[in-house]
Amino acid sequence: MIVRPVQITDLSALFTLVRQASPGLTSLPADEERLAYRIRWAQRTFAGQVDRADADYLFVLEDDEQQVVGVSALTGGIGLREPWYNYRVGLTVSACADLGIQRQIPTLFLSNELTGQSEVCSLYLRPDQRLGSNGRLLSLGRLLFVAEFTQLFGNRLIAELRGSTDERGGSPFWDSLGRHFFKMDFSHADHLSGLGNKSFIAELMPRQPLYTCLLTEQAQAVIGKPHPNTEPALKILSAEGFAHNGHIDIFDGGPVIEAPVSGIRTVCDSRPLQLAIGSPDANDPLWLIHNRRLENCRITCVPARLAGSSLVVDRLTAKRLQLQPGDSVRAVPLLNQRHQAAAA
Amino acid sequence: MLVLRPVELADLPRLQKLARESLVGVTSLPDDSERLREKILDSCASFEKDVEGHGPENYFFVLEDPATQHLVGCSEILATAGYGEPFYSLRNRHFTSASRELNIEHGVPALSLCHDLSGHTLLRGFHIDAARVRTAHSELLSRARLLFIVAHPGRFSATVITEIVGYSSDDGHSPFWDAVGKHFFDLPYVEAERLCGLQSRTFLAELMPQYPIYVPMLPQAAQDCIGSIHPDGQEAFDILEREGFETNSYIDLFDGGPTLHARTSGIRSIAHSQCGLTQPGPVNDARGSYLVSNESLKDYRAIVADLDYIAGQPVTLDAAMCTALKVTEGSPVRLIAL
Repeated sequence: MIVRPVQITDLSALFTLVRQASPGLTSLPADEERLAYRIRWAQRTFAGQVDRADADYLFVLEDDEQQVVGVSALTGGIGLREPWYNYRVGLTVSACADLGIQRQIPTLFLSNELTGQSEVCSLYLRPDQRLGSNGRLLSLGRLLFVAEFTQLFGNRLIAELRGSTDERGGSPFWDSLGRHFFKMDFSHADHLSGLGNKSFIAELMPRQPLYTCLLTEQAQAVIGKPHPNTEPALKILSAEGFAHNGHIDIFDGGPVIEAPVSGIRTVCDSRPLQLAIGSPDANDPLWLIHNRRLENCRITCVPARLAGSSLVVDRLTAKRLQLQPGDSVRAVPLLNQRHQAAAA
Repeated sequence: MLVLRPVELADLPRLQKLARESLVGVTSLPDDSERLREKILDSCASFEKDVEGHGPENYFFVLEDPATQHLVGCSEILATAGYGEPFYSLRNRHFTSASRELNIEHGVPALSLCHDLSGHTLLRGFHIDAARVRTAHSELLSRARLLFIVAHPGRFSATVITEIVGYSSDDGHSPFWDAVGKHFFDLPYVEAERLCGLQSRTFLAELMPQYPIYVPMLPQAAQDCIGSIHPDGQEAFDILEREGFETNSYIDLFDGGPTLHARTSGIRSIAHSQCGLTQPGPVNDARGSYLVSNESLKDYRAIVADLDYIAGQPVTLDAAMCTALKVTEGSPVRLIAL
């Protein structure tokens, strides 16, 4: 398995993949024309031809038969072209000592605080490939890429996790809040949002803070609660140091998780090593390895053996990374070593 | 014959009895003897005071049956709402949600805390014995305040407002309070109203929602309360509406009840009341019912009377009327058709 930049030749394979995913992947609409546009844009991004504000790093996961089985993305900087909105869940205290009243009321503040940060998004892995380390490779590969090219990204990485829905697939948060200002149902708003109209929609929202006690109980209950489908993604990113810091999506109330780039496990623990060819055995730990290239970026995950400042991999891996022995790689153990130690 | 007059300290015990029966939400009438005593003294001082403009004065009137000395009602005029402490209301205005790109534009009503009604003269504390609701005497109790205002225009503002008690259930629950106030005050509606009557309302300031409350986000029962009137407040509303008062975009913070307002000079009893000089004598051919008041300040009196009155002519009043109004031959009186 290899993570690499998307190519225009991936269009039909990607289209098939995305069609399987929708609905549920609003940032990758199953629209061939839009997809082609996004692929071309990603190619220009990897070629270093666009500003950080517009950068869209779209990766695919390719199996050993060159089949595209997954997709994930990374943006350069959010909110630098049009405003990026979140709610920050703050607090209002209503207190009167004389009367013994002390009420703490969580309050939603419309915020552009995450402007300029980079977002990991648009991850989808074909269901039959959700095994082994594929999910981690597809997700963490992006973080290793950031580690190599920190100057291309913001100080923090964020991920917006889909919010909780009710049994009909509706969003209690939307029904209690956004609906009143848009007069449209959640799926329509979500669709517009996926088409890139997110800031237009946000402009319909009230600027003033909102007391959560005035939302329905169902809506209050889902503030900052991720959809169960996002649990695998949440688990992987949490282990990397991502945490919910009080920001939520303005539409469905789902949590935004974030981490300072310098505090992300894959970034901190990764280091440059020399590639060596050998025959690591299956008991050697899995390593996430990046060939340190931008346009011809290749990232993989294989068993490897650390020998001094060399990382020993098999010949096929070197070939897939498009590298020769002695070339530099950036690598990090796939799993947190402390966790591995604990497991052993 | 019932007479409306300024309250006196001697009225305290009877007034407290009245307070006990008054509707929750008539917050200016607390069932607390110390507080009521202060209110009475404050009113007495207001009637005594020489003023150059309208200030913190509160004029408290009672409706008495002189024969039995029973008090059957009371009403007040606060010369200036929000004089010493802020006067809060919720302003109900539309927040416009617009996006040219999405071709969407619509208004969402939102309630915002404001002091907009500060500075106006406030009619309040209207309470009448249940047996006299919707009689000429409830008209007297409410409208004699307007005759007082026209007799002493320098003491009042150019705009008069009043808050009408909003809907609450028989067991004392206000759906509006439960959906809005309760979150911030952590008190039952009745308790909140009681506290407001008892002490300064400034404590509210610290507890108020400072950000707008969007109406569609409220439960339907609470939305229905916006501008709705408690059945027992309907008469107070109807009397003043006939006087030319209109509802506006302001509602009460606690129960969502409506606010009425009017230009002072345009209020019917003020614009159309007439003055005449007293002519004591028997009323032989009463052709109409009137509210009649004298023009005094601290000896202010008003009654309901059937008179044979012709505009521009002296006003014939019988002995009982003259006594009730504390007028003698030649005293100016003011009257308006009931």
